[in-house]
Amino acid sequence: MINAFTILFCLTLIYLAVTTRLSAYVLILVLQGMLVAGVHTLAFFNDFAWSHVVVAAGVLLVRTFLIPFYIVKIIRDLDLRHGDSTRQYHPGFLIQMAAVVVGAFVLSNYLSQLTPVNVVPLGAAIAGMAAGGLLIVRRSLLLAHVIGFLIIENGLFLLSIGVQAEMPWMIELAGFLDLFVLIFLMGIAMNHLKTHFPEGESDDLTGLRE
Amino acid sequence: MVTIFVLLILPLITTALAAGYRQARLSYWLTLLAGVTHLLASLYCLITPFNPFPAGWWLGVDRLGAFFLTILSHTFVLVVLYSPGFLRRMQGPEYDRSRRLFYPALNFYLLANTLVLIVQQYALLWVVLELTTFSLVPLMYFYRTKESLEAVWKYLFLVSLGLIFLFVGILFLSLSARGVVDYTGFLVGRMTEVAPQLNPLWLKAGFIFALVGLSAKIGLAPMHPGDIDATSNSPAPVAALMAGSMRSTAMLVLLRFYQVMAPTQERMFAQRLLICAGLFSLSVVAIYMWRSRNYKRMLAYSSVEHLGIVALGVGVGGIALLGALLHLVFNSFGKIGLFFMAGNIHQSYGSREIDSIKGLTRRLPWTGFVWAVAFLLIVGTPPFGIFFSEVFILMGMIHGDHWWLLALFLSLLMVIFIGMSRSVLRMLQTPEATPQAATGTVERFNLSHALGLYAALVSIPLMLFRPPALVDALNAILASLGTTL
Repeated sequence: MINAFTILFCLTLIYLAVTTRLSAYVLILVLQGMLVAGVHTLAFFNDFAWSHVVVAAGVLLVRTFLIPFYIVKIIRDLDLRHGDSTRQYHPGFLIQMAAVVVGAFVLSNYLSQLTPVNVVPLGAAIAGMAAGGLLIVRRSLLLAHVIGFLIIENGLFLLSIGVQAEMPWMIELAGFLDLFVLIFLMGIAMNHLKTHFPEGESDDLTGLRE
Repeated sequence: MVTIFVLLILPLITTALAAGYRQARLSYWLTLLAGVTHLLASLYCLITPFNPFPAGWWLGVDRLGAFFLTILSHTFVLVVLYSPGFLRRMQGPEYDRSRRLFYPALNFYLLANTLVLIVQQYALLWVVLELTTFSLVPLMYFYRTKESLEAVWKYLFLVSLGLIFLFVGILFLSLSARGVVDYTGFLVGRMTEVAPQLNPLWLKAGFIFALVGLSAKIGLAPMHPGDIDATSNSPAPVAALMAGSMRSTAMLVLLRFYQVMAPTQERMFAQRLLICAGLFSLSVVAIYMWRSRNYKRMLAYSSVEHLGIVALGVGVGGIALLGALLHLVFNSFGKIGLFFMAGNIHQSYGSREIDSIKGLTRRLPWTGFVWAVAFLLIVGTPPFGIFFSEVFILMGMIHGDHWWLLALFLSLLMVIFIGMSRSVLRMLQTPEATPQAATGTVERFNLSHALGLYAALVSIPLMLFRPPALVDALNAILASLGTTL
């Protein structure tokens, strides 16, 4: 079941490469939030503790509810539905994303020969982190960068499951709080950026170059 | 209990009070109280040595942490003393919100940095390091201009991406300890004890990710651009805070990883990486120091240079490690003096462009004087402290037979020195077209000059008299990093 969830996680990454709508990005975040919460619950199912339930609830609350809602609010406030020149379907992006996913699983398989790890969740984690980075590089809309950052964070969460590194639950929750505050600050910054850079694209941020 | 109160609870209370009361005068005195008591507590922990927390806790003050706490609170106190003069100059209605947020954010900065310096649990270290970024955002965005907004965005984004790398490093570190300690033993002290039993592959991978991730916050190349933009577009006291203490705090986190590497066979690997990071940073600065047209950017690049020297010193090891620790302190002193004076220059000329600053010694004689003295410190002129710390690093290279490194290091330092001198001397000596003195305004000696001069000069007695308590503390710190002299 864990493998099924993580493969679904990889499919959301492929969807990320073919979609051009911001609302689809938010949907991907919601789906990924549910999937990583599910993977976390299943990973520790045999070793039940209330702390695992609390962490899974924290993932659901922050990653599938608070952050996506906040991003929808930013999209509405900034009227970002139109005008992004880089939001075009491009087959090259799909090919790159597919290569990233395949490469991640090859790397994960190689790492499994060195140390005991969960190959499929680890592969999905590496793919998620690389895919988030790819989105940041390929898209110039600042909001897409924030979404790329969140996808990297989802990959990071899977990574800790993939390498079976259990962290104290209080630290996991503090990490979620950090993430939410960070996204909140980025949202405020984007609101202010809109007044100076109406397009909201990273190409506009050139005022500080030498 | 009193020490815990002063280090953690008092900054929390003063943050809340400064946010609640919003009276600049009261907030100033509260912030100063928090800073001075914090400095005294840090010195006490450094000298005695004293850990106010129970052994084996997630929080604890070791000698290394106390050393960095002292750098933090010393910088903080000077910045707080400089702040009323700065805020008096920022009286326009466009600065109302920034002024109200200034002292609460400053207190929160102290709290967040203190947490980083006393946390002993690796995963928690990552969480609290993010808090330091949050505390800086309202301070960096003080001017509320297009440029400061762009700088904030880039800093927030790049540093947060860097911290993701750091978290991967922490995960790999925990992976290296599989079968040796579980997550309850994921503490600096425990990990150092069991270091020789850790899996070398994951240990090395963890260090690589930690170095790359922390580079954004320390300001090491190639992750430095966000930090350069943020430092150069922040107000003078905030830039001094970032250059004088924030980078040191991030360096401590890297040293926490180095502490685990030090007792293992992988120590050489970590040292080589640090040497590469240091040399690369110096090379980047050697190019950009010549291209920089903005004096605050020039100072920000100088910070990249000096943190690069620190990384190099740690990498070389032995007496160079002592040099690196002293270099952190003296760089903090020099940057405080330079950024305070940069604030005065910006206030008078209304520009950050080097070409716009002419006749500095005539228009602002005291600022020009302190600027020149702090410049002499930062480029390592004897008898200032940086001269001695760089000599220690050079001695480390000679003892370690790193002759090629010595040659490269000196060459890069020379290129950077000439590049920086060119800009600083032009600002000091180029005559002004219409001298300000003719209009009747003559600059008087004020608190900012006294603070800048103190920061620039204090390294001389420290190196000449070498207080025994400081020498003891430094020896203990070196031992904790696996070095005995």
